[in-house]
Amino acid sequence: MTPLRRTLEEGRIVLCVGHGGVGKTTITAALATWAARRGRRTAVLTVDPAQRLKDTLGLGRGDGPRRVSLGGLGARAGHLDAYLLDVKRTFDELIVALAAPEQARTILENRLYQNLSGSLAGTAEYMAVERVYRLAHEGGYDLVVVDTPPARHAVDFLDAPRRLLALLESRVFGILKDPTTILPAGGSRLARFVLDAVLSGLERFTGIGLVREVGDFVRAIDTLSGALTARIRAVQATLAGAGTSLVLVAAPEPRLVSETGELVEALGRTGLRIGGIVVNRSLPRALFEHPADVTPLDGLPPALTARLRRGYEDMQALAARQEAVLAPLVAKAKAPVVGRVPLMAAGPGSLAELAAIGAHLFPEADEPAVRARGLGQ
Amino acid sequence: MAARLSLGSQRLVIVTGKGGVGKTTVAAALARAASAAGRRTLAVEVGNGRLAPLLGADTLASEPVRIAPTLSAARIEPEDALADFVDGVLRFRLLSRRLLGSTSFQILAAAAPGLTELLVLNKVHAWLEARRLRRPLYDLIVLDAPASGHSLPLLSAPRTLGAFARLGPIAELLRTLGGMLADRSTTLVLLVTTPEELAVRETIELHAELAGRERLPLGPPIVNAMPERRFSPRDVELFDGPGDHPWLIAARFLVERRREAESQLGALRRELGSAVVRLPFLWTPPDDPASLEPLAEGLATAAGLAA
Repeated sequence: MTPLRRTLEEGRIVLCVGHGGVGKTTITAALATWAARRGRRTAVLTVDPAQRLKDTLGLGRGDGPRRVSLGGLGARAGHLDAYLLDVKRTFDELIVALAAPEQARTILENRLYQNLSGSLAGTAEYMAVERVYRLAHEGGYDLVVVDTPPARHAVDFLDAPRRLLALLESRVFGILKDPTTILPAGGSRLARFVLDAVLSGLERFTGIGLVREVGDFVRAIDTLSGALTARIRAVQATLAGAGTSLVLVAAPEPRLVSETGELVEALGRTGLRIGGIVVNRSLPRALFEHPADVTPLDGLPPALTARLRRGYEDMQALAARQEAVLAPLVAKAKAPVVGRVPLMAAGPGSLAELAAIGAHLFPEADEPAVRARGLGQ
Repeated sequence: MAARLSLGSQRLVIVTGKGGVGKTTVAAALARAASAAGRRTLAVEVGNGRLAPLLGADTLASEPVRIAPTLSAARIEPEDALADFVDGVLRFRLLSRRLLGSTSFQILAAAAPGLTELLVLNKVHAWLEARRLRRPLYDLIVLDAPASGHSLPLLSAPRTLGAFARLGPIAELLRTLGGMLADRSTTLVLLVTTPEELAVRETIELHAELAGRERLPLGPPIVNAMPERRFSPRDVELFDGPGDHPWLIAARFLVERRREAESQLGALRRELGSAVVRLPFLWTPPDDPASLEPLAEGLATAAGLAA
């Protein structure tokens, strides 16, 4: 049994990471569908699904949950609920959960909070982790499968609790409450005077009253930093726990592989281990398995035969190039390729297609109802 | 039905699109095509990208470097743009470095939506206005903008920041830059996509956003990496059917891929109600000026740039 299959059957959280454009969301949904069909009570949290996948999962507006009907796929006792991440709402709920009502209102109404809750580096990522934590602990699910946000580096997502903690514990709050603290200890009164003048000058020059508003916001949120810190530590522990598995989704295309490589390096620095790699959008196997000197086809017009041969040769060269770019990535990730999913003509438009992807990943599992099929096969 | 990408008086072309669709490749090809047609062209990337090798340069710097008589290129580092700005305001270099290094200032920058983006646009504007002997230094600037998720902040910066700053020098700058972006006789925004579902969907959304709310002058979408048609329907009739000969597997793959690309192209045309510019799929990913040539030719034709 592959490690990925074990996590899906016995683990608590599966996080799918990968660079944008590799089909991460689709693989996430397919893994969740597979687990639900194997009898697990499963939640799938997606961030920005394509319309067809949204339709397949029954996600309209709002952040769910939507119970996905597995009827017709021979599902056992499990079920699948689909959630869409709403960063702002998750942040709001967190504030409400941790703060006293009066404090919560002050924060929620702050204009900067309204901007920051979407734009402060790491917020979206942290809120995704927060949502996962709540689903895993309070949702009544056996398994939560997560599509990580399309961050420039998806590692921001996994690193989010640590970075938010660092922010809380750093001097930043002090600095924002009293900007002169960035001066060396015991800085001269003149230096303080200059800095004050500069900051207010900056405000006047830009016409943006942000410095003061940031201060107001930080003072308000500072009062809950204790509760927030405790919460983030709990979330961090869950991410690093044994029940959590990281799946790297990769596509064998040069431009995507180099960026996935950067992601792998960044993941390495966070100390989180990749449990397995899913290679998505793989070319038909026949292109890898047959030697170049296959017997020519008979019975077709010679001109067509020549074009068929050329098409095959071009495709084989493409397949070889894809393998060549993939190998160093696999070595770098220090994780096994747990499955290959062939290139599909379009994103999955039905649950049966999601189930077909599962059949590609776990061909050994007994799944007579579903046939694995990809483009050109 | 091929679209014309009329490059008349426009002097600023902003190229954007979903990550991975070949945005930088298209920007580089367009810059080369314009330069080959005799326009003094400046290609600009934001942050550390792949523009340099595609243009045949070793590295790019914050000041334009000349690659060919009519082709220069530069890179804007958003953080440097912010530093330049703060230096300019503060005039105490040591203090401004200290300020920039502090987390509080980074938060301030993050909290001022569009400030960094605005400073990037400001640099582009300065190059657009740059003159030597009373004539513009560059006939055309091609900006390889950040991928669509990040380009919306860039292109909407004048408006979002305008909500904070209504008076003062920044407000003045905002009006100038907003005017530059919205001016049809100066600016053309090009959205690059591949004929794939996700990329096409994102392009449709971005198009609606930029043409609607932001009222920016958009050109026809550029569909990059369009697979060629290798087999006619009659060919397909001849070889279709069962059979697992590798040639047939490859052929079926090529046929299906082309069919899917055409259907995505159709969806894009229907949604945007406009023709598109197509660029061919290259079997070897372009990594230098020579391998870029087929794309530069395609763009030169579409833009009516005579060699």
